[in-house]
Amino acid sequence: MSAVLVVLLPALPFLAAVLALSVGRAAPRLVAPTVITGTALAWLAALGLLAGDISSGGANVSVAGPVVPTGGPRLGIDLHLDGLAAVVSFMVTTVALAVQVYSTGYLRHDGHARPGPRYPSYAALVAVFTAAMLLVVVADDLFVLIVGWEVMGACSYFLIGHHWEEEGARAAAVKAFVMTRIGDVGLLFGVFALGVGAGSFGIRDVTAAVLSGRMAASTLTAGGLLLLLGVVGKSAQFPLHSWLPDAMAGPTPVSALIHAATMVAAGVYLVARMDEVFLASSTTLVALALVAAITMLGAALAALAQPDLKRVLAWSTVSQLAYMLAALAAGSYVAAGFHLLTHAAFKALLFLCAGAVAHTVGSTLLADMGGLRRRMPLTASVMAVGLLALAGVPPLSGGFSKEAVLGAVEEAALGHSPLPAWAGWVLLLSALATVAVTAAYTTRAWLLAFEGPEAASRAASHGVPVYPPTDPPASMAGPMLLLAVPAALLGLAGLSGSWLPSWLGRGGPGETGVFAAAVEHTLSFGWVTTVASLLLVAVGAGGTFLAWRSAGRTDPALHLGRARALLTEGFRVDEVYQVTVVAAVQALRAVPAWVDRDVIDVYVQGSARTATALGRVLRVSQLGQVQVYIGMALAGATLVGLAAVVAR
Amino acid sequence: MSAVLPLLDLLPAAGALGLLVAGRERGERIARPLGVAVAGLTTLLAVLATGAAVRTRGFALQVDTVWVRALGVHAHLGIDGISAPLVLLTAVLVLCGLVYTWRVLPEPGRARELVGLILVLESGALGTFTALDLLLFFVAFETVLVPMWFIVAVWGDPHDPVARRGAATTFILYTALGSAVMLAGLLLVGLRAGTFDMTALTAMHGAGLAAGTQVVAVLAIGLGLAVKTPMWPLHTWLPGAHTAAPTVGSVLLAGVLLKMGTYGLVRIVVPILPAGARAVFPWLGVLAVVGILHGALACLGQRDLKRLVAYSSVGHMGFVLFGIATLTPVGINGALYANVAHGVVTGLLFFLVGSLKDRFGSVELSRLGGLYATHPRIGGLLALAAVASLGLPGLVGFWGEMLALLGAYQAGTLGWRLLMVAAGAGAVLTTLYFLRMLRRVAQQPRDPLAGSVPPGGGPLDPRSDVTGFEVASFSPLVLATVVLGLAPWVLLGLTDPVVRLLTGGA
Repeated sequence: MSAVLVVLLPALPFLAAVLALSVGRAAPRLVAPTVITGTALAWLAALGLLAGDISSGGANVSVAGPVVPTGGPRLGIDLHLDGLAAVVSFMVTTVALAVQVYSTGYLRHDGHARPGPRYPSYAALVAVFTAAMLLVVVADDLFVLIVGWEVMGACSYFLIGHHWEEEGARAAAVKAFVMTRIGDVGLLFGVFALGVGAGSFGIRDVTAAVLSGRMAASTLTAGGLLLLLGVVGKSAQFPLHSWLPDAMAGPTPVSALIHAATMVAAGVYLVARMDEVFLASSTTLVALALVAAITMLGAALAALAQPDLKRVLAWSTVSQLAYMLAALAAGSYVAAGFHLLTHAAFKALLFLCAGAVAHTVGSTLLADMGGLRRRMPLTASVMAVGLLALAGVPPLSGGFSKEAVLGAVEEAALGHSPLPAWAGWVLLLSALATVAVTAAYTTRAWLLAFEGPEAASRAASHGVPVYPPTDPPASMAGPMLLLAVPAALLGLAGLSGSWLPSWLGRGGPGETGVFAAAVEHTLSFGWVTTVASLLLVAVGAGGTFLAWRSAGRTDPALHLGRARALLTEGFRVDEVYQVTVVAAVQALRAVPAWVDRDVIDVYVQGSARTATALGRVLRVSQLGQVQVYIGMALAGATLVGLAAVVAR
Repeated sequence: MSAVLPLLDLLPAAGALGLLVAGRERGERIARPLGVAVAGLTTLLAVLATGAAVRTRGFALQVDTVWVRALGVHAHLGIDGISAPLVLLTAVLVLCGLVYTWRVLPEPGRARELVGLILVLESGALGTFTALDLLLFFVAFETVLVPMWFIVAVWGDPHDPVARRGAATTFILYTALGSAVMLAGLLLVGLRAGTFDMTALTAMHGAGLAAGTQVVAVLAIGLGLAVKTPMWPLHTWLPGAHTAAPTVGSVLLAGVLLKMGTYGLVRIVVPILPAGARAVFPWLGVLAVVGILHGALACLGQRDLKRLVAYSSVGHMGFVLFGIATLTPVGINGALYANVAHGVVTGLLFFLVGSLKDRFGSVELSRLGGLYATHPRIGGLLALAAVASLGLPGLVGFWGEMLALLGAYQAGTLGWRLLMVAAGAGAVLTTLYFLRMLRRVAQQPRDPLAGSVPPGGGPLDPRSDVTGFEVASFSPLVLATVVLGLAPWVLLGLTDPVVRLLTGGA
């Protein structure tokens, strides 16, 4: 029974997508019920599996599919569900369901009874995406995982380009796909290294091989670093991070699902799934820790200066994903999984709120907002829940999970983990600084959008009819309220140090063997980090508030002075790519034409002239070009004769 | 049952003969229905033969009779796991092409001759894929050349007769020269080993052939096959021929003719000349990777959609050659998979380009745009074909190219791994040019300077989206793209046992 549910998990949304596309034109009314039903059934399957996981203290369901004969290491279409997979698939289906329902309202524009003509393909792509993400979650073979992983990337590309009439959306879509594909090629090579090293591409076979010490250290390090390249691309970490803020050109529900809660978290999920590989090599762990340390603080600083609400949230996602990777680098996949879950809830909620604002204001620029608290009381109150959770204020969810991450990093800094202690200190200092900056940018976003005077320029700058901003319709408000519950309460799961570890327990070889001591299996909250981080939250938020009030309720980022432009442009990393990689490719693309025309064809034309001359000699009829063929055939026959003589 | 293969190989040629006998006027009238009927029957026979190959270990449906006693040439036919997919691909692509031609007959008309030539070409291709005698293989291989030359030279791009004839000449020049050298190589092998029978030669695994002889034979045979594939730097006939050819010609060039070269490498060079292959193939690997990068960079600079798809073939066939060059079972399995995938996906891409050309008269990138808005179904299919072609996992293009790279990883040395990384960079560039193409053709609105309305000038209504006959001719390829992408074991289950056999003693 459980095995059937595991197969149905990705299959149901996929079938719903196929069905929705095939009825899309004939009966557009049926599209929304189809995709929502498919997603809801997958949610039920995930609920059943989660119940099994919690009641049994760690689910363990395997499904062996066909074996693909490649002539190389074993490759099987196998699925496996453990505690981590059960919890994450429940999260994915919950957010997906909320987003599918929300989209029916979001894609309906003023005066239209039904969503627009692009809705069927949009809804089908979101459903395919859901299926692909679930496939990643339950994959038991690295190639099954790669299929889901890259199909997600393709769906993300198509959905970022949903408004393809806008240049920004077109460019962002291409950038997102190409940048993540660079990481994906690295991931593929990492999979080669680990699979060939273990003799199988089965995920549990690989981790078992790592634990048994059968894999060479060099293979492990190379494989781990290459996997990390894929993670960096997918989870938008430095240096492959800059596609994610641009991806905000996509519709906001898509940002909520793909670019906040699920796809970008898949990188974190992959590290958690392949934890043994990372923990076995201190080189890989240090690389992971440095990527996380640089990304979390840099992205939080960039979020501080963004003029656009969605871009604030996007940079915040980059920074929060780095938190999760920091926990993994510190050796605590439980803390990472905890933050992954709470972040999915509060960040998806924040995006849905941002969508509700954009839907009624007609813009995502903070300058076009202001004073919305009185106009949109419902949106304002759930947004407040989301922002407080993001800032890490207890008892909201993010408060607990962030403390769990900090606790794990503190352990690493004290030398209680496989991560070298110096790297632990780098992580800890970066994480504490990020806490303050996070509180600052959440406060700024709240003040600019919901407090202060209403934007006077709203009507003038966009030339659309001015409606007073209002709370969204029930189809959008419902999912927002639904997500507000876990965004507020999910942190309580961390109250007992043993609940989460037992739910996320993987039941696999990671629980035993040489890593049993190394891997932190309980949540640890250090009182030093807790007090420090609460103080830092107060400093960040209070400082921003004072800056806002002292400057006449204008943007507190104005106080950043000349640094503001640098931060708005994300430290101008894209400019570096522009003058190096992009310029190189542009220069190289002229090379083939030159080679073909000026090098190769010179020889060809030379031989053509010879052949024509030969043809003239042999011309016995007016067959024209056939002459050339006959000439060649004769030349061939001559060679044949020669060869025959030589051979005898 | 043993009559299946001779019937399969000769039925299309018999159809062509029927058109010849029918006379000009009647032939013109019946050509297209007859062509589709013959191609349909051939496809059924191909399915039957594939079924037999699935059930049999080794060669199925073998026939062996003396053909030219004086030369010791046998008409030895058989089908196994590596030839069956290509036989089926050939039959399906010809059928799709003839269905398309039924509605859109390229200028200057003359259906009887065009259909006749396509059917002769099909016989030649099927003969190539089922021949088990070196000289029969050569004869069948050559049979394909002349019809394709006529198809390009006569039915090619009507707007540019000079380029069309030039392309046809370059094509015939390259391939005929390659073939002549290949024949010399085949004779060298046959005479030195004392038999032209491929099963016997395979069983010998190079025994009785000195290493030096093997190297010479690999170079000679390889040259002929490499021209056809095409391998860099012997590829410059391809962009011109593909661009000038009518839609059905481009589809068959990409889907059938290019496959004959790489099939020959796996069927003849790998098992019969193992020592020669080991000496020469590392260089083939280098040239294959150069081709991958060259094709991708060239695509970034193209201004014509059809030429872009043509150049993308250089890169994709580079992956096929790369897989074979590794001489590992994984790499060769990958090459055979990528062979089929390229036939399916590039066939579909050429059909779609043809659809656009038959509507707008030109497929210059600067004159196209906004397909998602004006022609959502063609735009959607183009997007599917593009992501399949750039190797998205879950679609057919992934497995072959991935296994070719894995083969290089398994080959183990630093050189092979560096080549693997370079080929991986080629995969990223491939993503880039296909997405840029989609952006230009499907997303971005048409350049207002190019006129607000597409020019028309083709035989189809420029405003129409995919029509019924197009659905009929594209759907087998769309289906294969998805099914072989999700169920790779179907095809690999066929090729893997044979590949193990072929590389067993190597």
